[in-house]
Amino acid sequence: MSDKRHNDGNHTNEGRAGFLARLNALETVVLAGILLVALAGLMLVGKGFYMKAKAEVSQVLLKRSFEAQLQGEPDVKPWPWADFSTEAEITAPRIGKTAVILSGASGEALAFGPALLANTPAPGELGTSVIAAHRDTHFRWLKDVKPGDLLLITRKDGTNLTFRAGTSRIARWDESGINADAPGRNLALATCWPFDATEQGPLRYIVNAELVPDAGQSKLSALDNSVQLPVKSF
Amino acid sequence: MLLDTENAGAPPSRSHTRHIEYLLVAALAAVTLVLLFAMGFFSHAAAETAEGKPQRFAGYVHPNDMGTGALLFPSKEPGSFVEAPRLATDVVIDVNGPIIRTRVTQRFQNPSKGWVEGTYVFPLPENSAVDTLRMQIGDRFIEGEIKAREEARKVYEQAKAEGKKTALLEQQRPNIFTNQVANIGPGETIVVQIEYQSSVHQSGGEFSLRFPMVVAPRYNPDPIVQTVDLDPNSGYAVNDPVPDRDKITAPVLDPAENARINPVTLTVNLNAGFPIGNVTSPYHTLVTKNVDGMARTILLENSSVPADRDFELSWTASAGKTPHAGLFRETMNGKTYLLGFVTPPADDAAATDARPKREVVFVIDNSGSMAGKSIEQARESLALAISKLQPQDRFNVIRFDDTMSVHFPSLVQATPDKREDAIAFVRGLTADGGTEMLPALEAALRTQGTVEPGALRQVVFLTDGAIGNEEQLFAEISRNRGDARVFTVGIGSAPNTHFMTKAAEIGRGTFTLIGSEDQVAARMGELFHKLEKPVMTDIAVTFDGASAQDITPNPMPDLYRGEPVALTAQLDGTSAVGKLQIIGKTGSQPWRIEIDVAKASEGKGIAKLWARRKIDDLEASAYAVNDAATLDKQIETVALANHLVSRVTSLVAVDVTPSRPAGEPLASTDLPLNLPDGWDFDKVFGEKPQQTIPEDQRKASLEQSEEQAMLVADRMAAAPTARAAGLIADAGTQVDLPQTATLADRHILIGLMLLAFALMAATTFSLWRWQLRGLVLEARGRVR
Repeated sequence: MSDKRHNDGNHTNEGRAGFLARLNALETVVLAGILLVALAGLMLVGKGFYMKAKAEVSQVLLKRSFEAQLQGEPDVKPWPWADFSTEAEITAPRIGKTAVILSGASGEALAFGPALLANTPAPGELGTSVIAAHRDTHFRWLKDVKPGDLLLITRKDGTNLTFRAGTSRIARWDESGINADAPGRNLALATCWPFDATEQGPLRYIVNAELVPDAGQSKLSALDNSVQLPVKSF
Repeated sequence: MLLDTENAGAPPSRSHTRHIEYLLVAALAAVTLVLLFAMGFFSHAAAETAEGKPQRFAGYVHPNDMGTGALLFPSKEPGSFVEAPRLATDVVIDVNGPIIRTRVTQRFQNPSKGWVEGTYVFPLPENSAVDTLRMQIGDRFIEGEIKAREEARKVYEQAKAEGKKTALLEQQRPNIFTNQVANIGPGETIVVQIEYQSSVHQSGGEFSLRFPMVVAPRYNPDPIVQTVDLDPNSGYAVNDPVPDRDKITAPVLDPAENARINPVTLTVNLNAGFPIGNVTSPYHTLVTKNVDGMARTILLENSSVPADRDFELSWTASAGKTPHAGLFRETMNGKTYLLGFVTPPADDAAATDARPKREVVFVIDNSGSMAGKSIEQARESLALAISKLQPQDRFNVIRFDDTMSVHFPSLVQATPDKREDAIAFVRGLTADGGTEMLPALEAALRTQGTVEPGALRQVVFLTDGAIGNEEQLFAEISRNRGDARVFTVGIGSAPNTHFMTKAAEIGRGTFTLIGSEDQVAARMGELFHKLEKPVMTDIAVTFDGASAQDITPNPMPDLYRGEPVALTAQLDGTSAVGKLQIIGKTGSQPWRIEIDVAKASEGKGIAKLWARRKIDDLEASAYAVNDAATLDKQIETVALANHLVSRVTSLVAVDVTPSRPAGEPLASTDLPLNLPDGWDFDKVFGEKPQQTIPEDQRKASLEQSEEQAMLVADRMAAAPTARAAGLIADAGTQVDLPQTATLADRHILIGLMLLAFALMAATTFSLWRWQLRGLVLEARGRVR
């Protein structure tokens, strides 16, 4: 404290101005600590918002590239250094959300949009296609999907498909119980669960959906007459 | 603040010590804060790594985990299987010269009270040719017939739907075969018998064979205690995926105990074709009987079958009788098949431990698809590889995404400085951007200068192979490879193995797969071994005076130290004439040998070995064939002609139980005692003499196996009908879901908390300052 008095004396006598000059060493340390904490906080908030912004902005670019693809331009990439291509577009009309789906959920693709898992068939084909996306960005709305909701999918070949959402369930990531070769034309949307958690956990929330048979599916391969859409009965 | 008030009025000396105390406290607080931060980050990192590894349940298995033949039933946990109790296993291995024929007979039981569809999984040594499947399910005998894969599957599905006993044996990977068995009734016993052909492995004058026997982690005998923990927020109870986490420590049963639960009998009829010296097995106790100088019968001492070791048997020739060349032939369907092996003379330079000079170009993929675990594994593998270089070696590192950079302007001497420099470069890589592999490959193959005389040029490629222009890359490798060898290292859980296997084949190197963090050291170790040992290169085989259509393997691979040239060939006609010529190069020294075909001795099963290798060659040439259907057809033709299971052909079981002869009383067919011709299931039935095991122990083991059967039955998803069993089995194959939570919310939350804390601290601080100032002024006023 003697220091401080001394400093104060300096201030009055020699006119050394400035806020810092009036602090003693302890106070300087405390203030620096507070500033550091504030800075770290700002950086973390910034990083979080950057991730969200990336997810939103990239969707705009993806949308543009997907439309080019629909116009028949082959091999369009959303941006020159992208490591994936667009696969389809999903719309939930009741909730009013749309997202462009990417091919393959490897690496960083999920940061930019929902992804069709590489080892599952394209939506509308025989089997179960699985689309996964982050719970805090693109599939934030997945919790609002109710049984009976319609989900519209536009594939990159221009086919429009309608799926009807069924039940939803929670499973571990490595015990999803989803069989890619299951009978019928199914869709499974997956995201992390619980929705409001901030930790990365092993649980996933899965919404099952079935193709609504209607006109305009001429492009579907192997529209088998022998195997009708299976009646779910055990 | 209270202290401060005191302090303000205290004498200067005391206040000085106080000051130091304050500084100490502040420093401590700062250190604690830093520590807390660090801990927060580390625990977060730890949580992430734990998440990446698939967690397994005790007693639940996955088909890929199996280290020995096992029958799996779908379990109540989707995606997991339980292993059927293995009641008995009998293995007979006939070795005739260079050819091995193995017959495995195993007896399993369906312990449940319902119908199931099981999957029999068995790993085999690479290049095994599977040609026979026989089964007994309940009282029905069925035998496999070779058919095109699709056709076989249709037959199987049909029979399954009709409720018939049926089985389908398919090749999943070249060394993993699965056999689906439909309509196994409650409590029924299943006997599976498979036969396969393979060739004796030779290395450095030692002959060896291997039979897979590793038993996967199995039933945990401890009772499972599960508590239900309701989440106060959601009201849901979430099962701890591994409720008895701490009990899953020993993955493998005590060997002595395992031998009783899982009795294995193994017989090797060894007919080496030359005077035998030593016969040894590294992990198993043998009982050897001499038949004559060239033949032995080897039995396994039943009480000592370790569950964590494959059976390995190696034998040598008696001193000075080691054959350095051999030629065997078989005539079948108007063609002659040859199997030859030649061990090149040991080079003096190679015999010492002198390593050849190497020039290594490492290429690492840091594109966006490698983000996450993959890039970590790639970085670690590459750093390890660089650290293993010798000072006389030269090296360079190239990284690529949609851009590329070459670390050193040209190859540099691997001095410790340069190695450190390169490792630092590699450790700093992050995964982002697209995958443009061609420029990097061109840089690695073309722009690294000429190969110094006597040096080995090696290109080591680390990637997940997520690319679309495979043909272009293959063409580039085959055109510009020169003297270089291309080794590929596949990274991540699902790398494009097709691309990397082919790239390595064209590049005359090898493919190494690294699936997880803990495989890095072991797999890279195997690769280093190959990279460091001298090789014989440019091996070519020709026939003089005989029209040989197909010599396999084609092209002949490089040889690593002590390995022989092993080839099979198909000759026109049944007469064996002409000469076999093999040429090669050791370093820069040429090497050549000639063998007279007429002097070849007779061998059985050579045609099958040839066919299996022919199929491998066809698979390897896939990149050159534009039409995949044509290739499949070629493979199918070879496989069907030789009754082999391959990627495009499967064995489908046909019911061969003899129908009841007219007039025979029904009762006599109740017990299927008359086995069809050529079937030998005796070994797995009938009580074995067990004098060595005392009565009480036997009883105990019996109880144990019953307990085990109950445990299995408990975990099985059995169906009330045979039809529903198929549906349950189908649900067993499932998709793994990716991580779909970002840390964005967490970052924002923590960030906001920190900001709030800083705000509070600043307020407190300024309040304190304000008050302090008042006090100081007051004190000063008093002094005056």
